[in-house]
Amino acid sequence: MGYFEIPEIDYTRYTNRQLVAVPLAVLAVALMILGGWYLVFGTPVVLGIEFAGGSELTVETSTDRADIPDAFEEEPESVQANQAEDNQYILQFASDDQQALTEQAESNLEPAGEASIVQSATSTSASFGAALQQTALFGVAFAFIGMSLIAFIAFRTFVPSIAIVISAFSDIVIPLAFMNLAGIPLTLGTVAALLLLIGYSVDSDILLNNHILRRSGDFYESTHRAMRTGVTMTVTSMVAMLVMATSAWFFGIGLLTNIGLILFVGLAADLMNTYMLNLSLLRWYKFRGVSR
Amino acid sequence: MSPKEFLKAYWKIMLLVLFVSVSLYALFVPGGLLADDTLAGDGGLEGEEDEQEVGEGWTNLVYGLTLDGGTRLTAPVVGSTAEDLEIDPNDQTEIEQTLYSELDLDTADATVRYDEESGLATAEIFTDNVSDADFAAALQEAGVDATEDNIRDGVTQTTRDDIIETISLRINEAGLSGASVSQADVGGQFFIVIEVPDMSPTELRELIEQRGVVEVVAHHPDDDGGQQNDTVLVQEDFATIGTASFNDQSGDYVPVTITEERAPGFQDDMNDFGFTTTGAGQCAFEDDGADGQNYCLLTVVDGEVVDSHSMSPDLGANMNQGTWVQDPQFQMLTPTQQDAQQLSVNLRAGALPAPLDFNSGQTFTLDPALGDQFKLYSLFVGILAVLSVSGMIYLRYADARVAVPMIVTGLAEVVILLGFAAAIRMPIDLSHIAGFIAVVGTGFDDLIIIADEVMSEGDVNSRRVFQSRFRKAFWVIGVAAATTIVAMSPLAILSLGDLRGFAIITILGVLVGVLVTRPAYGDILRYLMTER
Repeated sequence: MGYFEIPEIDYTRYTNRQLVAVPLAVLAVALMILGGWYLVFGTPVVLGIEFAGGSELTVETSTDRADIPDAFEEEPESVQANQAEDNQYILQFASDDQQALTEQAESNLEPAGEASIVQSATSTSASFGAALQQTALFGVAFAFIGMSLIAFIAFRTFVPSIAIVISAFSDIVIPLAFMNLAGIPLTLGTVAALLLLIGYSVDSDILLNNHILRRSGDFYESTHRAMRTGVTMTVTSMVAMLVMATSAWFFGIGLLTNIGLILFVGLAADLMNTYMLNLSLLRWYKFRGVSR
Repeated sequence: MSPKEFLKAYWKIMLLVLFVSVSLYALFVPGGLLADDTLAGDGGLEGEEDEQEVGEGWTNLVYGLTLDGGTRLTAPVVGSTAEDLEIDPNDQTEIEQTLYSELDLDTADATVRYDEESGLATAEIFTDNVSDADFAAALQEAGVDATEDNIRDGVTQTTRDDIIETISLRINEAGLSGASVSQADVGGQFFIVIEVPDMSPTELRELIEQRGVVEVVAHHPDDDGGQQNDTVLVQEDFATIGTASFNDQSGDYVPVTITEERAPGFQDDMNDFGFTTTGAGQCAFEDDGADGQNYCLLTVVDGEVVDSHSMSPDLGANMNQGTWVQDPQFQMLTPTQQDAQQLSVNLRAGALPAPLDFNSGQTFTLDPALGDQFKLYSLFVGILAVLSVSGMIYLRYADARVAVPMIVTGLAEVVILLGFAAAIRMPIDLSHIAGFIAVVGTGFDDLIIIADEVMSEGDVNSRRVFQSRFRKAFWVIGVAAATTIVAMSPLAILSLGDLRGFAIITILGVLVGVLVTRPAYGDILRYLMTER
């Protein structure tokens, strides 16, 4: 059925230890990246201007890209051109003086046609950013604990539930490390993506647990059936997110780009975590239970 | 099958059709479901938004700042509060006076409030230049038992409510619609959030920055050949305040009437100070040569003299005869129309109880042109995402009986959500669009689970087999939905700006999915799989 089939993996060829090793190694590397970042930069992740404080200006100007920084008293931290709109640039500054930056842009940049020079401006003070960061951290912690509770309530046994929690944790940590490497800063949008990952990640984990624990039938048979559904789900979402990330990047909508990219990476991590980490924990649980 | 049986068997599909029809109506029929005011909105003044928005574009959707353009200022209130003070309610004014003199505060920078219910009082000062220790010391000076432990940063809820009301009034007085003013708790600190379409941050700050404490001061000769100032009218003394007006004789002015309580006193003051007799028409403010002969009525805003005028001879005569109290009105003259407008706004909206600290918050502004660009492009992004998911689904199942209803049901979910947003006039922001895309994602996930489960282990022959398989699938979907709702619920409550809309849409989408669209998809599948 279908133009593509989910391949059947012969899990009997691998021991639990072998299966667990790969996702745990990736998780360890991710944690090391975050730890290293913390030691070098003081924060485990790159904070966006919403959290760290600073300004972002979207300007529309006929001034050459190379000359744009000269318009400002303060050197911009980054200048990024919009792929879909000529003459549109996104500039980031460490300063949170939106008024001064807007004035400098308006007096020193050449207008492109009728459009106003400053199309959009956001400035966040460091103190507000810190408060926002604290609230966001609280939100993520609450979401994670809530998810864990539901996992335990749904399965009422320790190993399958903790398998879900570990998988979800790893699904969040791996994209966080990826964000550091790819230079994607932590913003409200990316926090939303991480929270969504909790939801997506639990979907496939619950599906797998459900098939293996609550159905009759052979372990490998159940696994294969769960995978057929689960992998279809995850791959479909990954395609959607990749399309969203690339098209939003092309159109210069940063929020959607970042959400799409992070979900794509997180879902890829989820494939690995669900069908290697979670699966081997379940196999260990199931067969140890039988032999006892 | 009779119609009745059909309805009984497929009521879930009927329900979906009904939801979709209602949503389409809410989305596209001009005027929408609820023709008048809003049900949605996160507090503040949003009522007037609709008149402006409805009729724009080809849907009834209302867009937020990030898609329609506008300015949002988020700023904390300047000040600190001493709480849980035990005072005699009669001493309130006295304590306030002591705070002013001890701490050298400007007008309106201190407030003492007594709460009848708890029997405790709070004292607030609206400046950042006083240390907690000095504040406590000043309170002790006033006979209040207070230490630094009583004092915290920020102001009371009552003050914040006043601020929100004053700013709303000011924005309305300035003739701007669609604005909203609210407060947000971010990391334990309260911020005032002001959203206004069609205004730059600089303009908005100018409108709000002024405290707007208006006083009328009598500037008149003292006994030693100099000048002396007496405050004769304050905010509360004005009974009615007209709008900025103009006539050839007076120029720009604001017509006002004085309250019954204050009018006799004001008339007496004017007579006693000599404004109505020798002083009428005699004003050369800040002309040193005229010292000792000046009779000026000064309009003072935030401690700054903004204008000075003499008493007109007509008005003076009226007061001198004591007839003015019977119709206590006069014109407050201003140099320009703009000043008259500003004065009228300040008098009507009242003074801002405490200043806002614009350097410790957030400023966001978006040009409507860029908003339109975002609207169009995010529509493209959404369509592309849906197309790619549909393509994947078709490739995976290669069975139109499964794939087409799946795609249709998935789209129905989006239509219902959009219709709901339009019906309650929820302002759509960029973050909501991310939420829509997230909903499409989880929605298709769940439809895949249902389809796979129902078609597992061969064909579905009987209704009972179908039911049992559907129920199994639904258990997974239910747990997953509960998880997503739990994961998103803190964001729907916390003041995390953009994230809130995202979380609300995601939660709503999950609910619509679990309660309406996914059961309906089950029925569609059952119809297609069992009835032949």
